[in-house]
Amino acid sequence: MKNYLIFIVLVVVLGAILNYFLNSYIQAIFISFLINAIMALSLNFITGLADQFSLGHAGLMAIGAYTSAVLNKEFFSDAWTLIPIGVFAGAFLAAAAGYLVSLPSFRLKGDYLAIVTFGMAEIIRVLLLNWNHVGGPRGYNNITKFPEFYYEYGFVIFLLAFTFLIMYRLKFSWFGRNLWAINEDDIAAEVMGLEIAKTKRRTFVISSFFAGLGGGIYSHHLGYISPGSFSFIISVQILIAAVLGGLGSLSGSILAALILTFLPEALRSIRGNTIDLRMIVFPIILILMMILRPQGLFGRKEFFELIKWKKIRS
Amino acid sequence: MQEFLQHTLNGLSFGSIYALVALGYTMVYGILGMINFAHSEIYMMGAFSCYYIARFLKIDTPNPLHFAIGIMAGALCAGLIGFLVEKLAYKPLRNAPKMNILITAIGVSILFQFGGQIIFGADPKAFPNLIEDQNLFQIFDSPFHLTDLLIYLVSFVSLAALSFIIFRTQTGRAMRAVSSRPDMTPLMGINNSKIISATFIIGSALAGVAAVLVSIKYPKIDPMMGVKIGTSSFVAAVFGGIGSLHGAVIGGFLLGLGEYYLVGYGASTYKDALSFLILIGVLLYKPTGLFGSTRKEKI
Repeated sequence: MKNYLIFIVLVVVLGAILNYFLNSYIQAIFISFLINAIMALSLNFITGLADQFSLGHAGLMAIGAYTSAVLNKEFFSDAWTLIPIGVFAGAFLAAAAGYLVSLPSFRLKGDYLAIVTFGMAEIIRVLLLNWNHVGGPRGYNNITKFPEFYYEYGFVIFLLAFTFLIMYRLKFSWFGRNLWAINEDDIAAEVMGLEIAKTKRRTFVISSFFAGLGGGIYSHHLGYISPGSFSFIISVQILIAAVLGGLGSLSGSILAALILTFLPEALRSIRGNTIDLRMIVFPIILILMMILRPQGLFGRKEFFELIKWKKIRS
Repeated sequence: MQEFLQHTLNGLSFGSIYALVALGYTMVYGILGMINFAHSEIYMMGAFSCYYIARFLKIDTPNPLHFAIGIMAGALCAGLIGFLVEKLAYKPLRNAPKMNILITAIGVSILFQFGGQIIFGADPKAFPNLIEDQNLFQIFDSPFHLTDLLIYLVSFVSLAALSFIIFRTQTGRAMRAVSSRPDMTPLMGINNSKIISATFIIGSALAGVAAVLVSIKYPKIDPMMGVKIGTSSFVAAVFGGIGSLHGAVIGGFLLGLGEYYLVGYGASTYKDALSFLILIGVLLYKPTGLFGSTRKEKI
């Protein structure tokens, strides 16, 4: 209980600092950090804990984003108070889509699963490109935004805390241990009586739900989405955040999202004339990580575990 | 009839390109069990190195000799780049989990795409006209171009050379051995890493040849040109049964024909989605593709 209180006080203090002392540029970056963290957590849940490689999280994000944006614009007549309903509806739709994809595809393994999810994301993108009602390739404009920074901040922080808490509790439950068993050796896990396909399917649905959540809030944060905002490169960016933090480490994902959101902004002054320099830096980070430290910053450990471990040793 | 024939000719010429690129995917998969996501970027680098070499040697005028030099340059440079990518990025991960290798491959691919945009510039470049295109003859009123003929000829020669290497030489025998039992081949005196390098060089050289051929037919190159052909060829490789050489060639031709019929008879905006639908359908109902073999998993 004490920990939760400390957390809430910290959040309020941080929000006050952001709101009263920093400009809207840093506020916007901070919100996109929170969104990236939700997406990284969502991918880490399936790829890190269960070792099922998904390259289609941008597609799930697109489902969440478009659902929430269309709902709010067409049915809720731009009322910003109803944004949370739209966001959660988008998340549920993304979870449903994830369920449909997972029905046949979890007979597949490893590389093939990555390709199927990649294909799913591409199909979603092509369908959105051909859907003229939401602008097709021109994108969907004037999506409802939050009127004040602290409403948006409060809602997104709540979403991140919600995502993190659910995943954290799941990681250390019987379900998390099942996932770990699949991660270590799925044949052995199956021999021990674990229903592999069912467990993987559930994991993918949960992961899709949070990807849709991140997508929904993304559309209301920027106010503009287009099929190009959810291309393959976005899936790769989410993957980089999950890998950098450590596959299987939830707090690592949040830290990596923090680094990967603020570092490019710091690099902005030395960017090339037309191309983002970060698209050079990111893949180099990814390759070097895989060669030198494949387990990421934290490995499977959580931040809290690392601190405890140090105390015991000293 | 004329329209149908035109689509067939275009489909076949693109099909042979897909076949050449798909062979690179399928060879690497057969020997290492990994999907080389960077293959489409090696294809792109083949076109760009041919462009710069042609400009450097001042052979950018139509001439059969220049054409031959261009093809050679593309193949050699792509082979070299494939060799370097394998040595620098994949070799340190030889015994790592499969997912790490896949992530590295994606990283290499993105690095080439955006590094290419910085080094070569993001705007499309005009590829030198290495051969004068002309109308050879008409079949049912549809023109038969010299470039198409050259694409058929060069891809046929490359495929013949490949099948000679794989099925008639010591290296090819070693490649087939490594692909079936990589744990046993060192005991037979085969140096696995040399064979893997050779596989990468040959597969990449084929992609380089394909890149130069495509750039001569559609003389516009840019650093993202590999993505489209790469995904289609990959679908072709999976469709034919990944790991099987004949499968890749037949899958390439079928996919090329299919895509051109689809574009020719409407629904061109759904072209990309359809190739993925084919892919997902194949993976779900016959994961081994047309000619692939299953591998029993042992504990």
